Amino acid sequence: MKNNILIIGGGPAGLEASAQLQRMGYNVILIERSPKLGGHLAKWDRLFPDRVPADEVLRSLLDATEGVKCFTDTDIRAINRLDKSYNVRLTNGITVLSDAVLVASGFDLFNAVRKEEYGYGIYNQVMTNADLEAYFRTGEDRRIENPRKVGFVHCVGSRDEKAGCRSCSKVCCATAVKQAIEMKQAFPEAEVFCFYMDLRLFGRHYEDLYLEAQKEYGVRFIRGRVAEVSENFDGTLLVKAEDTVASKPLKVTLDLLVLMAGMRPSASGKALGELLGMNVEDDGYFAVRSGIAAGQRSQQPGIFLAGAATGPKTLPETLADARAAAMEVDRYLTEVFPDARNYKQLVKERW
Amino acid sequence: MVDFGFGLVPSSRINLDLFDKGKYEELAALEPDVRICMACGSCTAVCTAGKFEPTSLREAIEDIKNARADKALQMLEPCQLCGKCSMVCPRGINTRHLILSINKIYSEK
Amino acid sequence: MTPLSYLLAAQAEVPEVIDRIPSGFSYFVIPFTVGVAFMFCWLGVGLIRLLADIPKEDRIKFGKSLFIPKVALKNIKELFCDCLFHVKIWQRKPLLGYMHSAIAFGWFMIIILGHIEVALFVPARLNVTRGGLFYPIFYRYFVWMNPGHTTLRGSFFFFLMDFFLLYILSGIALAIFKRFRSIVLGMRHTTKPSFADRVALYSLWMIFPLRLLAESFTADLSGGSFLTIPVNQFWHFLFGDKLWFMPCWWAYSICLGLFFAAMPFSRYMHILTEVLWILLRNAGVKPNHPRKGVAEAEIYACSSCGLCLDACPMNVQKKNLKYSSVYFIRFLRRHNEKKINAIADKCLMCDKCHALCPVGVDAPALRRAQRATVNNTMPYNYAYLDASGSVQPSEPGRVHSRFAAAENGLSPESAPADSTQPCHANPGVLYFAGCMTHLTPRIIKSVEKVFKAAGVEYAFADREGGICCGRPLMLAGRTDAAAKVIEANKQMIEASGCKTLVLSCPICYKIFKEEYHLEGINVVHYTQFINELIAAGRLDVKKTDEKIVYHDPCELGRGCGVYLEPRAALSQVGTLVKASKEYDESICCGGSLGSLTLDTHDRAKISQASLQALLSGNPETIVTACPLCLKTFSEAVSRGENLEQHVKVKDFAEAICP
Repeated sequence: MKNNILIIGGGPAGLEASAQLQRMGYNVILIERSPKLGGHLAKWDRLFPDRVPADEVLRSLLDATEGVKCFTDTDIRAINRLDKSYNVRLTNGITVLSDAVLVASGFDLFNAVRKEEYGYGIYNQVMTNADLEAYFRTGEDRRIENPRKVGFVHCVGSRDEKAGCRSCSKVCCATAVKQAIEMKQAFPEAEVFCFYMDLRLFGRHYEDLYLEAQKEYGVRFIRGRVAEVSENFDGTLLVKAEDTVASKPLKVTLDLLVLMAGMRPSASGKALGELLGMNVEDDGYFAVRSGIAAGQRSQQPGIFLAGAATGPKTLPETLADARAAAMEVDRYLTEVFPDARNYKQLVKERW
Repeated sequence: MVDFGFGLVPSSRINLDLFDKGKYEELAALEPDVRICMACGSCTAVCTAGKFEPTSLREAIEDIKNARADKALQMLEPCQLCGKCSMVCPRGINTRHLILSINKIYSEK
Repeated sequence: MTPLSYLLAAQAEVPEVIDRIPSGFSYFVIPFTVGVAFMFCWLGVGLIRLLADIPKEDRIKFGKSLFIPKVALKNIKELFCDCLFHVKIWQRKPLLGYMHSAIAFGWFMIIILGHIEVALFVPARLNVTRGGLFYPIFYRYFVWMNPGHTTLRGSFFFFLMDFFLLYILSGIALAIFKRFRSIVLGMRHTTKPSFADRVALYSLWMIFPLRLLAESFTADLSGGSFLTIPVNQFWHFLFGDKLWFMPCWWAYSICLGLFFAAMPFSRYMHILTEVLWILLRNAGVKPNHPRKGVAEAEIYACSSCGLCLDACPMNVQKKNLKYSSVYFIRFLRRHNEKKINAIADKCLMCDKCHALCPVGVDAPALRRAQRATVNNTMPYNYAYLDASGSVQPSEPGRVHSRFAAAENGLSPESAPADSTQPCHANPGVLYFAGCMTHLTPRIIKSVEKVFKAAGVEYAFADREGGICCGRPLMLAGRTDAAAKVIEANKQMIEASGCKTLVLSCPICYKIFKEEYHLEGINVVHYTQFINELIAAGRLDVKKTDEKIVYHDPCELGRGCGVYLEPRAALSQVGTLVKASKEYDESICCGGSLGSLTLDTHDRAKISQASLQALLSGNPETIVTACPLCLKTFSEAVSRGENLEQHVKVKDFAEAICP
């Protein structure tokens, strides 16, 4: 018998997990609420640290999902737990009886408008990391016209207790360094500044990227958080921070300011979590059974988690997490689920 | 004992052995937020007084932890308590009360 | 019907009232007399001490004020309205108002009428040596009504006495009820009574029922009316001829004595101190210390009624009740230094307790004074304010260059032209954004947009940053330091030659208005200025059907009394909906600079409560006119569950000129 598995979220985690489970012979149904698969990856241009095109990565992910039933523009209307499985009614009218559910609801980008003092949406020359990726993809953005001085603000909506975002978003430092390099490649004459609180370049080749930015591209790294931005008459921006290494307040006039919007728990994922009765932690991300030993199991038997639904992750981490989740689903469906008589006992012992 | 070091000039090195833990704990009891600064410099960046005179809450906190409370007090003297720093602090530090508390604890002789 | 002329002339041959006890004394009056004498001595000494504590010029000011007709009239009006009728409580909570006025006005009338009766019927007894202190109080015990000679005049007083006694009893009944079910009278929280409060409270509850008992026992001897006579007949029906009225008069006197003895240590002190406080307040004498001098009258004028408990925005959390003004004042009375400081520092300074206080106790001002006792002596160094150079009066347009140049490391004279905005010489209008507004750029953007649209020629005083207005220092009790900052700003503004100073921050506005004394300069908040622009037809606005709720910032509304102008302007661009709490009852957003110790978590709770009040009319947009409120509400809305999709937060200028 082929078990039905419902995967919620068609981003990298959902795609990778569905490919793996499909390969294992399960009947995989993947739903995505937006019209397009790929999540944030579909909107990105190139990926750190090696700057491979995001489209290539997405293509290979999509290719591997051959045979998976995909429903885009589809959300969950209702869900109820039967004895062991879940009866899920979708917004497209289809009802799925699913033996396991994998939630890969991903993340939202922090809404940079909330950092009032940076003037996103108010000043013309302020944009976000996502806007810049869109520019790199299309070559079009009214804000970018041969900028001579560009600033990157790290940690916008990350490590910001007051905005309710305590955690580090993990990917912004590397993204900022990558984008700084790309900016220099596009506009070699430009001066580029990165305002950081701590540079968290922890992954393999990330330090190489940092070194390259310093050595090859002369990107200026300033340890201090931008705290005030005002607009000059000519539309340029006056940016204030402290150079905490020099222990001096600093100001600089920039043509363009790029805000590295951080990762926030997905809002639609939260609504989904309520439907499923899943717990979230204080940071808004879903709670897992055990952070170390069972990072892909939710606190509800039969519901699994993958990707940024359980906290900020880089793309390789997300993919690895998705594969791990696939393994967990498989183990559950072969060792726990079929044993109808001892199901409850097994869940107690192994979930 | 005779000191044979280069003791003619006082060392400019931070000497953590001089750190007054008792006083620091007193301060932390009065305003626990002193512990949670992550030295991002936002307060200094926006400081109204800092434009004219070196004024930095971030540095003052650092100075206190580095046994240089006198420097910290001096660093806070130009402060106008305008509260911009409390608006931008990512950790939500109650900066104005911290400044008052530092004064309260460390200006006592 | 007896003609009135006969009544007035009724000096009957046969006396209507006969001194039943020739000595005019009975031992039962002792408890009352001792109690009341103690209270008056205490009060007298307190009054002398208080007046001695007031600076001489204030004392003279106070003395003179009593004879200024305008002030005297105001005094009389406020004494009646506040002390006796409790008009302010009536206006907000009618049942509670009834309760207070029943006890206060009723009791007052009984004392007055008692004295009038004595004056009319046994005038000799008003003399202190012949029992004047207690005789009018226990009048009914001492006299015998000559049956058959009762005039209408006598009956009239009997009726009045019974009427007011019943009136008081109804108030007492409500008061007892309130102790157990305060919410019915519109109070969510009530104060915890202290020991002296309890003694006074329970004796107060007992006084009037006992008076009814005592008077009704003697009603067949000394007369009575619709209340006392039937009760008297009932007693006779119950007990026959033998009535034990002595124990009742004793109990009545003891309760009175207890009440007056406990009074100076209890909340009921306010009955008398309130009078002094009103006189001092109207004389324009202000406290300069949280406890001494005028403040003493103020803190003892607090009736501990507890209306400030429900008023205080911090009290959305029960744990914060202890920081309310009523307890602040209680601890001031008790000299509990540690608690006073903790309470003084916690307050948001939103001024709502002051606005709602029936006695007009300005607790926030006392808290500021308390903060000053601790913080005012802290060192500060504002030498840079003098060193940054003086403004060139010949260049009024370049007002901001003084501070901008300092940053560029240049002397003001050599400030490059491009560091300043190309502005008009002699600007009619000077715009001062203030520190906080620089962190909410959309306010600056929108204000400038409005100015441009209306063709206002203006100079931007602190485009490149200025110095603080001084209000935050004041709020922290650092008055001396604030004076320095004020002086520096004042020089800059006066040198600019502007006629109108527009402020977009209510914090700045309040202090500019109250402490700067800018001669010949019209200081306005941008809500007022923009409203005028619209009214004068200089600014075209488009009416939409957007549902707008306006939040009154504390410093603008309660602080400066600006409620109507922003609403008038907003009603031109959308439909105003009501908030469940608005005008002077508006709830602080929680972002106030006033509080020194409130943490982010507690502030968030206050923001939630304030937001809830604003959302009660299902608005699409929340409009406020303060950078702190704007930032706080924006945050609160984006944190709230699915709020962001339904409600927008806008600055006033942004709403006017989208």
